[in-house]
Order: sequence, then C-alpha cells, then structure tokens
Amino acid sequence: MRILLFIFFLNSFIFCQKNNQEISSSCTDPLIILAQNEGVKAIPLKDMRRFKKLLKQCERDGGEEMMNRLIYNDWQRDYEKAKKMQSWTSTHAMCVFVSFAYYFAGQVLATKPGDS
Amino acid sequence: MKSQIQVFIILGFIIGCTFASAQPKLSIDIGTGFYEPTLTGFDQNESVQFPTKSLFNRNMMFNWGIYYEFFNNARVGYNSFTSFEIGKNVLLVNSEAAFTRSIKYRMFPIETYFRWKPKIELNFTLSPIWGRARIELDTTPGDKEEDWDFVITSFGGDESQITDMGATDAMLNDWLGYSSLLGLRYYISSRMAIDIKGGFMNNFYNEENWRVQRQKVNGPKMKIDDLPIFSIKFVYGIK
Repeated sequence: MRILLFIFFLNSFIFCQKNNQEISSSCTDPLIILAQNEGVKAIPLKDMRRFKKLLKQCERDGGEEMMNRLIYNDWQRDYEKAKKMQSWTSTHAMCVFVSFAYYFAGQVLATKPGDS
Repeated sequence: MKSQIQVFIILGFIIGCTFASAQPKLSIDIGTGFYEPTLTGFDQNESVQFPTKSLFNRNMMFNWGIYYEFFNNARVGYNSFTSFEIGKNVLLVNSEAAFTRSIKYRMFPIETYFRWKPKIELNFTLSPIWGRARIELDTTPGDKEEDWDFVITSFGGDESQITDMGATDAMLNDWLGYSSLLGLRYYISSRMAIDIKGGFMNNFYNEENWRVQRQKVNGPKMKIDDLPIFSIKFVYGIK
C-alpha cells in the first residue's frame, strides 16, 4: 500500500510540472501549444481573450496555416472522439428512442374510452 | 487488525485530485421551451378573473441548464423549464391582489450523444422530473394596517400615515415525473452550439397536494401529463 501511495504521489508531481520556457513568439505561446495538444476547450475561460489575441497575432506573424490546422484538428478531435457511442451509451439511446416512439405512437393510435 | 481508514482517505484524496485536475467537460445552456398544458383551474375559473391566457404565459417556458460529461459520449446535469404568469389587480373579496404563478419542471437528465457529422450531434435524453408549481398572491389583509399604524404611532409619528398594506403568501405543490427527448445539436464552434430537442414529459400532478403555510389545500386543475415538449437553446462549453 505504501508503494502504491508513493507511486501516486510521484505521478502527481511528475504530471503537475509546468513548462517555464520563455515565450519566443505568439505561435509558440504555451496557450497555443495547449490548444494544439488538448483542444481549445482545455483553455481556461479567463485566458480565452488572450488566446484569441494570440491567434490573430500568430496569423499576422505568418502562422495562418498553423492556426487553420489547430482549429481543424480541434473539430476532428471532437468528431473522432464522439463519432461512435461507447459501452452502455448506445443502449441508453435505444431506450430513449423506444420510449419516444412508444409515446408518439400512442398519441396517434390510442383511443380514449367512449371513442367509437 | 490495523485500521485502513486513513489509507483509504489519503488514497481517495489523491485519486480525487487526479480527476479534478483532468479536463472537465462542463457546459451551460439557455433557451426557450414550448409545450401546451391545459390549465383548467385558471382558464375556466368563474370566481376569480385570472390573467388571459397567451402564448407567453401558457406555451413558452424559460429554459436553462448545466451539464457535465461524466463518461464518453454521456452527460449528466440539471435542466429547468419554467412557465411564468403575472397579473396585477386580480379582483378578490377584500382587495385587488397582485398574482404570480410559476410552474417549474426541474429535470435531472442523463444524455448520451454521438457526432453524426463533424458539426452535427444527435443526442438522447432520459430524465426524471421534480416539478413545482407556485401561486403567489399579494393581498391586503384587514388588520395589518391598524397594527402597523399602532407601531408607527408608538415611535411618535402621526396617526394614519399609511393607507394601504400588503401581505404576500404562496401556495406550493410538488410532484414527480419523467421525460424523454431526442435532440439535434449544431456546433458553431468547438465551444458554442445550438441545440434543438423534442420529446414528451409525463407529470404525476395531483391538485389535492397543494399547501399554504404547511396546511394542505386544494389547487387548480391542470393537465400537465402526457405533454409533447420542444426546446431550442444556446449551449456554451465552459471547459
């Protein structure tokens, strides 16, 4: 158990390290790198304004293709990740669909007492 | 046997922190819902003249929600549909009251989805409902003016400085229900989307379960079971 705890602690330190490199230009800003690696949604809301400024600045600095690729990759990442349902999610979707169909079929086909 | 509780607490904390520092998928949404209830207790009331029914106070609902993606292609959250009605000068026995009525359908949905196209998502929602209706009246009670006059005079002021007083009370009713919705979401950007949903909701409303000041009373007849419901909303991904 102690070894397990030690591994968790060690991992926490290893993966929590931040890169303190000097910002050389807008295109290599840590925010841009973060968006490239983990997607635009990974950027904290408080940094969104700065991120948009960096995008424009990078485009002006000649990185237009790089920025287009960043946005395209972001779409593709989300699309690839959510293209197919996983595990129980398709069963859930089927339950919803069946209850939905049952309800609306009932609305159309069901008769009330007293109807001829 | 040596206690393992501390070890589990520490382990739970570390694992919890690991999840907390990972990328959450939190989104908020705001929009409008549409449905068609039959509020017989208000519309066919012969004693009290409630506000005339219209699209805004019968069919439209204010809708907001917050969702968290807790599993691949699955979200859980809170979604609230609220129908409002406000009326001034509703003529009662002793006063002209200000009247407010709200019906809240508080949903706790589980939603699964998949991307049909890069910008288009289809989603499927099942949701229990905790509904609450509230009728609020601002009336003029008889003795209140005299009581307040007495207090004000005790401070040294003149008599009869106030001519009108009001008191607000509300009657409430809670019920349970469920809902099923199919939706289509169009992503404007990776954070923003327009979401359209359609489906039905079923509410187990009982007009005999109303309460005022912890006293059980009868409320208006409302047919809010087996209702088709539609919503359109704007979604913003916080993270």
